[in-house]
Amino acid sequence: MTKKGTGLKIALSAVLCLFILILAIRQGSVYISLKDLFGIIGGHITGKGTPDGIEPMMDSIFWTIRMPRAIMAFLVGGALSLSGACMQALLQNPLASSYTLGVSSGASLGAAAVLILEISVPFLAGFMLPFAGFVFGLATVIAALLLASAIDRSVSNTTVVLIGMVLSLFVNGMMNFLSTLYSDHSKQLILWLMGSFSARGWKHCAILFPVCVVCFVFLMLMSRKLDIMSFGDLQAQAMGVDAKKTKIAAVLVCSLLTGVSVAFTGVIGFVDLAAPHVVRKIFGPAHKLVLPMSFIYGGAFMALCDLISRTLMSPREIPVGAVTALIGAPFFAYVFFASRRKR
Amino acid sequence: MDIICKGIKAGYGKTEVLKGIDFTVRSGEKVFIGGANGSGKTTLLRVLAGIIPHEGEVLIGGKDVSSMKRKEVARLIALMPQTSDIYFPYTVYETVLLGTYASSGSMVFANRASGAEYAQKCMEDCGVAELKDRHLDELSGGQLQRVLLARTFAQGSPFLFLDEPGNNLDIKYRAELCDKLNTWSSGKTGEIDNTLVAVFHDLEQAKRCCTRAVMLKEGRVIFDGDITDAMKPGMLMKIYDFDVASYMA
Repeated sequence: MTKKGTGLKIALSAVLCLFILILAIRQGSVYISLKDLFGIIGGHITGKGTPDGIEPMMDSIFWTIRMPRAIMAFLVGGALSLSGACMQALLQNPLASSYTLGVSSGASLGAAAVLILEISVPFLAGFMLPFAGFVFGLATVIAALLLASAIDRSVSNTTVVLIGMVLSLFVNGMMNFLSTLYSDHSKQLILWLMGSFSARGWKHCAILFPVCVVCFVFLMLMSRKLDIMSFGDLQAQAMGVDAKKTKIAAVLVCSLLTGVSVAFTGVIGFVDLAAPHVVRKIFGPAHKLVLPMSFIYGGAFMALCDLISRTLMSPREIPVGAVTALIGAPFFAYVFFASRRKR
Repeated sequence: MDIICKGIKAGYGKTEVLKGIDFTVRSGEKVFIGGANGSGKTTLLRVLAGIIPHEGEVLIGGKDVSSMKRKEVARLIALMPQTSDIYFPYTVYETVLLGTYASSGSMVFANRASGAEYAQKCMEDCGVAELKDRHLDELSGGQLQRVLLARTFAQGSPFLFLDEPGNNLDIKYRAELCDKLNTWSSGKTGEIDNTLVAVFHDLEQAKRCCTRAVMLKEGRVIFDGDITDAMKPGMLMKIYDFDVASYMA
């Protein structure tokens, strides 16, 4: 691929992503013109308040509800895809993700514990559920890594994936046990497990955004190591990369990305598999492009799915996890089989 | 600079493959590691490169390989594994360029541009320059082998450890590989004489590329000396439990 060709693809992707983001903000039961939308954004950024001619209610709908929701969806989609792209390289498996290592199972158990046992910590206020989800998700991954290290000194991929799956199943079993014992909470739990961006505001974005920036920079600095890790642990070691240290550091970063995302929105699958896969088809496997473009594509895909989830059966909302799977699965199958036919 | 092994024991799980190995590789040597399947050749190369855990000591220039950073080891030793699984379709150029990772920013390649230049040279030397933009999953077994060889050379290390480099290569490329290795071995990298340690199953190729043989049997060294002595019918019979001389006649 020539540099010019790559540049054009990046520019087109950025335009498409911006288009989807604007669409996700504008569309809904209340519609707004582009001019008014930019007026509202400009007013808030410059501190001048709502521009003349725009009703305060409109300002409230777009600035306090739609925009943070769309941006949150974008950040979560981006974070999950970034984490997926990285995990696939580390485990040399295009179907791997942080979910493989038990992040979602752990997070689900944490959320279930909070809901059922009605635990509350005063200073965490409304963040108790996401916080518990994040801590339990991360704890599951750390437990998986520690167990893998104890069993296999080289922390091989097979060991990591197997331990992750065993822990996932164990934790899922515990959760099913809890939800059977406390069936009154099962509906609430199921809704959380299917994921939603409803009522996500700027305060959520303010936490997720710096996490995304820090993790993105960290992974970009590792992009060459990730390229080398894509060839397997043995070759990576031979080429000068400490496979064990790299794997542990990157898995923790990916768990942070996934844990914080899952904690805020519930479990949303598929984007972390589909986005990096599509990006590799378009831009090739080198991580200096795969990482940023996975973030952009995953973010745009999630913003689009959230738009569909809240508008398709309006005023009812479809869980966004169901939309990502319903759109993503056939699309992923098409891309996969089309590329195989071509080959 | 020498690589010294003292009492090396290593294996996988409960299976002990190397059962106590002592020998020294002196810089400038061309060493053939031979032996039957399962005798420990690949494991020995991996231990020497500090990739798998082991008992005993491997000293590179007096330093214990276990205490060295991976990058530091890779600047001295370039190991080409026997099998190379390809999971993501990088281009040939991207793959060879990754070989320069360990030496980037060091005295070998002061910057990315010199690394890229060196990667291009390695591709030309291994006859894969014309495949530069092809993806790894579009290559034949022999082409892939040459690309991985180019990547190994691109590390710019004075010690080259090759595990069956002739795999998948046709007779012409095997001959070219020998010429290439002989030319490389007669040179220097920095102040260190280039040193080749290679596993071959093709004994003819081993004779053409190496001058010293270290022969393994069941995890132990049973011969260490001139390669012409190792190729004598009696010795080959002892190593392979098979009448190699009659087979090759």
